[in-house]
Order: sequence, then structure tokens, then C-alpha cells
Amino acid sequence: MTTVEIFVGIFEGFRVTATVTALGLLYAVPFALVFGVAQYLTKGMARLAITAVIEFWRSSAVIILLFVFYYVLPVIDIQLPAITVAAMVLGLNAGGYGSQAVRAGLQSLDRGQFEAAAALGLPRRHILALIELPQALTRMAPTFINQLIQLIKGTALVSLVTLTDMTFRAKEIAESEYNPVGVYTSLLLAYFVICYPVTVFGRWVEQRIGGRKGLTNEF
Amino acid sequence: MNFDFAFAATTLPTILGVIGTTISVALLSCAGASILGFSFEIARRAGSLPAYLMRFTIDFIRSTPVLAWLYFLYFVLPHWGFTLPALVVGILGLSIYFSGYLAEVFKAGIDAIPKGQAEAAKALGLNRIDVVSFVLAPQMLRNVAAPVGNHFVSILKATPYLAAIAVPEMLGSALDIASNTYRYAEPLTVVGIVFLVLALTIAQGVRLLERKLHGPTNR
Amino acid sequence: MNSDGQPMRQTAPWPVEISQHHSAHPPDRTVAVEAAALNKWFGSFHALKDINLAVPQGSRIVICGPSGSGKSTLIRCANGLETFQGGTIRIGGAELTGDEKQLQKIRRTVGMVFQQFNLFPHLTVMANCTLALRRVLGKSRSEAVGIAVHYLERVRIPEQAHKYPAQLSGGQQQRVAIARALCMNPRIMLFDEPTSSLDPEMVKEVLDVMIDLAADGMTMLCVTHEMGFAREAADQVVFMDQGRIVETASPATFFAAPSQERTRLFLNKMLR
Repeated sequence: MTTVEIFVGIFEGFRVTATVTALGLLYAVPFALVFGVAQYLTKGMARLAITAVIEFWRSSAVIILLFVFYYVLPVIDIQLPAITVAAMVLGLNAGGYGSQAVRAGLQSLDRGQFEAAAALGLPRRHILALIELPQALTRMAPTFINQLIQLIKGTALVSLVTLTDMTFRAKEIAESEYNPVGVYTSLLLAYFVICYPVTVFGRWVEQRIGGRKGLTNEF
Repeated sequence: MNFDFAFAATTLPTILGVIGTTISVALLSCAGASILGFSFEIARRAGSLPAYLMRFTIDFIRSTPVLAWLYFLYFVLPHWGFTLPALVVGILGLSIYFSGYLAEVFKAGIDAIPKGQAEAAKALGLNRIDVVSFVLAPQMLRNVAAPVGNHFVSILKATPYLAAIAVPEMLGSALDIASNTYRYAEPLTVVGIVFLVLALTIAQGVRLLERKLHGPTNR
Repeated sequence: MNSDGQPMRQTAPWPVEISQHHSAHPPDRTVAVEAAALNKWFGSFHALKDINLAVPQGSRIVICGPSGSGKSTLIRCANGLETFQGGTIRIGGAELTGDEKQLQKIRRTVGMVFQQFNLFPHLTVMANCTLALRRVLGKSRSEAVGIAVHYLERVRIPEQAHKYPAQLSGGQQQRVAIARALCMNPRIMLFDEPTSSLDPEMVKEVLDVMIDLAADGMTMLCVTHEMGFAREAADQVVFMDQGRIVETASPATFFAAPSQERTRLFLNKMLR
């Protein structure tokens, strides 16, 4: 096999990588928005409960979550396809991080925005939907893009629960012939090709939002 | 099949037996990633060509999964004649993978120092080395302490990836128990809880550190 | 230095005491800072145009002018914080060459106070004052502390020595910054809008310290909008606009009968 053939062979796993990413987003985005807003709006016990759920998904090691759900769910008689378990775990983990960006984005808004909207007589849900979230969205954007990259890279994990993604294909190819340099360089490149455009886009967004400051050049 | 709490309890000592490995791997990887990341960032400031090269290196690392790096190092290094223990390969892999993020931490930590600090130090007649070591470096270290701590938690949560290259850390020992007893749910749940408690505790410690560093006496 | 390691500022008349404290300085330098045909560009922006300015030793010169007139750039050129493209700057007779070692040497004799104070936030007030004494002049800890206490007393905040900058008010921070610069026993003090980022009620405490310094004979070059200070303490007021020196006059003439229309317009706005 030439390096090009190896690269193409690895990309046979792209469908699984892409599917897990897409399904993962279906979990991540709603979770981030709902739980981020909920954490922002609630107080006391409700906030504690919401924080606990977020912290469970965010602070657990995602690789261990995957193994736990993959092996524990059948024990309590929940039979789910591996791809669903993987998308849920990866998605909710990314969503946990995303929710913190949502909350932080909302909290960072000038209090005057809320007060001005409330003074106009807008109901709370309209203030949130029309005034607060649109402004917070730009501040969340870099974290969201970052989490998308983390999600794509995280899908490499599904190779450990027997799904035929790009990483799994690389290992298959490595078993059939001895060319570690070709195989694993191609594997790195395969993910690079997918994630790099997102990385560059994310940096562009960040610069548009953040602006540039003078650098200290003495180092 | 049911979840056997008594059996779960018996797995705890075995799993905790290698917690030292997990923590040392995380500490060494964090040190490695910090040194690499700091070097990247310093090199990036050296001129426009190094800036471009370093930017690309950092983006490449951030666009590729940690699992792909571990496989790459684990299978390619021996091919090139470097036969290292799996533990060392794992630390190397985590160091490289997280250096991409630590570089950003150091960038932010340096950029957050106002330009006037170096100017004031120079205006007092301090030489370049003294400007850096007495004025800029201490402020940079204070700026990066909490973010590095947060990345330490991320690195800790990534140590179970090392199970994929047969490093005897906590996930590995849980999987060993599982394959010996054919019971997966209990050891995996236990290792999940251990990681969650560890991550939450250290994250709380980092929060306290942050409050101390940016409390009333400092800025 | 006298026998107990304290500078003798209060007892001996300046500049006699300077020569004791810093015997390395040859005594014949009568011009502290001199800019000749100075030109500076930021990219295509001509920030300083043919600036000629001499600050004689012992004089107090105030530079004023609208924002963007180049006054801060000029004062920053005077200790090499900004480079320039044409003309010369002499400090105590020595021409600035851009050589790093020479700059470091010259900067020991030039104190600077910034608009943003620029105290080192990770160091106490005392450590801010003693850092350069120890690292640049090689003083012992006790010697450096002695000097720092002296100048902190001079700016009237010796009791804050153990605090961090963030625990002080803006006015106190700026007074510490002045003390920090004075510790090096400079031959000239540069002030770059020292009161511009202070709350109004704190301006006076800083100006009082500066007026004291002026009364003691310190050579001073100040960029400031404080016309009261200029009237009271300056020998000369320099008005800059669009990178040029428009007018130089004694305070009496400058405020009563400025010769240039642009100066009159500026004063009208400032003094209203």
C-alpha cells in the first residue's frame, strides 16, 4: 500500500467519524443552551442540582464515561447501539463545557442591558431571548468552535468500542501491513485535514471579537 | 446481571493502588506540556517566520486527537530505533498534545502584562535579563498559575487514554479486573467515580488558588 | 551618603549633595536634556517634526498641547523608550546612540513617572522602590531600604511601605511611583501626564509633591494639563501641536499674552 492508499483507507472511516460528530452536536448544543441558561437563571437548590448535572458531564474523563455507559447500560437493561452511546457521551461532555460558556457569556453582559430592557416592560423570557442571548452568543462563539474541535477529536475514542471510524481503520491497516510511519502519519493528517479549517475559523472569530492588543516583546 | 456493590467495593483498593501512577503521569505531562508550550510561545515572538511556523505547529497539534498522537509515538518511535517504555511514550504524547493549549495559556499570560511594566522597569535602568526575571516573569507566572492548574485537570482526565498503549494506570487496572472477572460495570463505575472526585477536588483547589492570586493584595 | 547610610537630601543644598551622592557624574553638564532637529515617524505618521528643545540643569519645563500633539512621544524619546528617525538627543551631554548598555546607564540618571503609574503589582511598595537600587546600583538591602524610606517620607507615605500597589489609592500609587524614581537620585525627572488618570480629589496630593520637588531645585520635564502647576512651578511652558513646538514662553507670558493663535485657542479651551 502506498501512503496515499493508506490515507484513503483511513478515510473509509470518515463516515463514522462524521456521524458521531453530527449526532454528538445534537446532544451538545441543546444541552449547553438549556443548562447554561438554567444555571444563569436559577438560584438555591435548583441551581445546585443543575450544576451537579453539568459538573458530572464536564468533569468526568470522557474516555471513562464512554466505557462506563458502554458497559453499564446493558447491566441495567438499556440496550443502545454503540454509536448512540458514543454520540451521547461525547456530546454531553462537550455540552457541559459549552454550558459554562453560555452562563459566563450571559453573566459577563453589562447589568444595564437587563435593567434597560426591564425598564421598557419586557417580560423576562423576552429579555433573555431578545436582549441577553444575542449579545452573549458572540462571546460564546470561540468556546463553541473550540468544543466542536474537541468533539471531532474525541470521536477517535469510538475506535475503542469497536466502531469503524478513522482511528479504527488506521489500526486495521496497521495490522495488515507493517508501515507504522505511513499509517500513523496519515492518521494525524486525516484529523488535521478535518479540524484545521475549524481551528483557523475559530481563530478568525476570536480575533474579530477580541481585537488585538500591544504585545510585551521582552521575552 | 445486576450491579454488585460489594464486588465494586473490592475493586477499589486495586484501582487506587495505581493512583500514584496516574497522578505522576499527569504532573510530569503537565510539566512537559508547559515547557514545550512556553518554548513555542517564546519562539513565536522571535520574528515573523518563527511566528508563522510556531502558529502552524500549535494549530497542527490542536487539530489532532491525543489518541492518534499516542499511537503515532507508540508505534513509530520503535520503528525509528527509539524503544521507550510505554509510560514514557504516554507522558511524551500527553506533553505534546497539551503543549498546544499551554502555548495559548502562556501567550495570554504574557499579553496580560501591561506594556508600561517593561517600560517602567527599563526607565529605572534595569537590563533586559532583570526586566524579565524581576518584573515580567513573576507577573506571567501569577497570570498562568490558575489556567495551568485547569489544564492539569484536563491532563489528569486524559491519562486513561494511556490504557490504549498498555500503561498500567487506573483505567487499565479496571479493565484488567473486568477481563479477569467478566464483570465490566463495577470496576469501570468505580474508576469513573475516582476520576470525578479527583478532578472536582483539584478544580476546587485551583479555584481557591485563583482567588488567592487575584485577591485584594494583588491587582 | 553620610555615615549612617542615609542620603543627606534634607540637610545639604542641592546640587552640592548630588555630587556627593553620585560622584561618578562629571559636574560640568549644564544641559540635562537636549533635543536637536528631532524627527519621529510612526509608520507614515510624522509624530515629531524638527523638535529643538533644551532643558538646562535645574530648570522646570512644562509641555502642554492637545492630545496627539506629540508631547508624550517627545518625553518618551528623552529616555529612549521611543526610537527616533532624525536628529539627536543628548542627555547630560551624552548623545543617545540606541546602544542598549548606554541606554541602561543613562536611564539610571533619568527618572520617569508615567500616566498609568506602572508600579509593579507583584511587589510591595518597598520592593518597588528598592528593586533598581539593588539590581542596578548594587546597594545592599539595608542601604536600599534606608534610601527608600527616605523618599517615601518625602512623598509623605512611609507608612504604606509594606502594602501592595493595589491596596493604595491612585494618588498614593503615583506618589510611590515618584519616590521609586527619586530613589535612583536622578539628575532629571520626566513626568508623562502624571495626574491624567487620577480622580480629581487626588490630583492635588501628587501636584503638591511635584511642587515640593521643583522648589528643591529638581530638574523637571513635565507633560501635563495642569495649568496651575505650570503657573506655579515652571520656568518655561512649551506648547506643542501636530508634532511641532508652536510656542515657548515663561508662564507669565504664556498665560497672559501668548503670541500664537493656536496657543490662544488651546488656552481658551483649557482654562474655561
